[in-house]
Amino acid sequence: MSAALPDARPTRPARSKLVWVAVALFLAMTAWSWDGIGFSPAELVEKADNARRIVDDMFPVAWQAWPVLVEPLLETFRMAVIGSVIGCSLALLVGFLASQVTAPNGVVYGVSKTLMSVVRSIPDVLYALLFVAAVSIGPLAGVLALVFFNVGVVAKLLSETVDAVPLGPLEAADAAGATFVQRVRAAVFPQVLPNYLAYALYTFELNLRASVVLGLVGAGGIGQVLRIAQTRYRYDVIALIIFVTFVIVFLVEALSISLRRRLS
Amino acid sequence: MIRFEHASVTYPGGVHALKDVSLEIPDGQMVVIVGLSGAGKSTLIRAINGLVPLTSGRVLVDDEDVTAADRKHLRRIRSRIGMIFQGFNLVNRTTVLNNVLMGRLYHTPTWRTILGRYTPEQIDLGMRSLERVEIVEKAYTRASNLSGGQQQRVGIARALAQDPRIILADEPVASLDPPTSHVVMRDLQRINRELGITVITNLHFLDLARQYGDRIIGLRAGELVFDGSGAQVDEKVFEDIYGRSLTADDVLEKRAEL
Repeated sequence: MSAALPDARPTRPARSKLVWVAVALFLAMTAWSWDGIGFSPAELVEKADNARRIVDDMFPVAWQAWPVLVEPLLETFRMAVIGSVIGCSLALLVGFLASQVTAPNGVVYGVSKTLMSVVRSIPDVLYALLFVAAVSIGPLAGVLALVFFNVGVVAKLLSETVDAVPLGPLEAADAAGATFVQRVRAAVFPQVLPNYLAYALYTFELNLRASVVLGLVGAGGIGQVLRIAQTRYRYDVIALIIFVTFVIVFLVEALSISLRRRLS
Repeated sequence: MIRFEHASVTYPGGVHALKDVSLEIPDGQMVVIVGLSGAGKSTLIRAINGLVPLTSGRVLVDDEDVTAADRKHLRRIRSRIGMIFQGFNLVNRTTVLNNVLMGRLYHTPTWRTILGRYTPEQIDLGMRSLERVEIVEKAYTRASNLSGGQQQRVGIARALAQDPRIILADEPVASLDPPTSHVVMRDLQRINRELGITVITNLHFLDLARQYGDRIIGLRAGELVFDGSGAQVDEKVFEDIYGRSLTADDVLEKRAEL
């Protein structure tokens, strides 16, 4: 049986030598990085005392401090809302301009695509630092940072969704004598709307978490309280902030996930 | 009236999809175009509404030159030509009615399209189009929840909503089962006879072509090789168009005699 058709069966093609080069490079890079920052898990054991002291400082948690946190938490939440609304609205426009399916011409496509990569290559904390310097400490800097962060993420996701849309309805719109804008609105927009809403909800989750961090550099909200607590070594307050943040982010995420599931 | 004058189409890859085709289709005819896949049927149909531009020659629709029309003029010509597709080309994630109203885009201001607000008159016209293909009860159903045959009838309603003088149907039944194919072809026939709309259909099933085509146009390798009435065509003519003997795959009803 095994010798029935000896010529018909292909032999396994030889694996490219490049695979081994890639593996070697990967290992070398890991070793170089490990060595370069003097990474040593043993240090963790040596400094365990210090870590234990901080954990000890966290308890008892400063539950009585919660009224102080209400306003900053609301501010963080509001920053996330405004950042999402403005960022996702702008992303709707940029996302369509950055897809070959819906860009009016090659120049607009190229410019939007480049703009999108540039915006995305700057991390949100860096935006916050820049805007804190530009418009001073406060929620405005935070919102601006979130807007930029959101445009980058949502426009990218949206443009890729538009790229993958079935083209049949566009042909139908053309055949009916539609204008360019009508064709995008009637034949493309309904196809990507559920995805777009899901991306918007997802970035709202990201924003909530990000705006905590943004506060650390002075861009408003709960993060600013976190920074003050840290400079005063109030780890009992920090513990409370961690707990409250965890609960809020967890709840919003659960809600967002269930909404997104309903969209698909 | 549609007139092809020495129409040729060469695709960028160098394929000659249409070679020097000249023909006239007067108003109100029910025309079926037959030919093997790759013979140029789709190209011929898409040249009529300018979805495929000619390389040389001219296509005129009601004495207006499709070939020379600028973008705005072309949209006006297209608004009078409905089109039905093999893959239905519906927007799956929206309602049947919204799909049908895509047929009104030319007559709808862009701001209205953006807001998605249609006038009561437009909705009435959309509903009437759906009534004509007997699927009006599905008006507010999502297009993706319909069967293939139902989706194609929505496609026909969308074309009817244009209030067209011509309907182009590019392999309208290729994705459908035999009984549904007859339903769709009968819809097209009724539209032709009752509304006097010129209907031009690409088909590759020869029994359907004979049954529904008042006039049959045969293409082979981009050339016009037959043009006559449905009654004139027999097995011999089809073999001539196809350039080979016929097989069971060339008919819809496998047991039926040609």
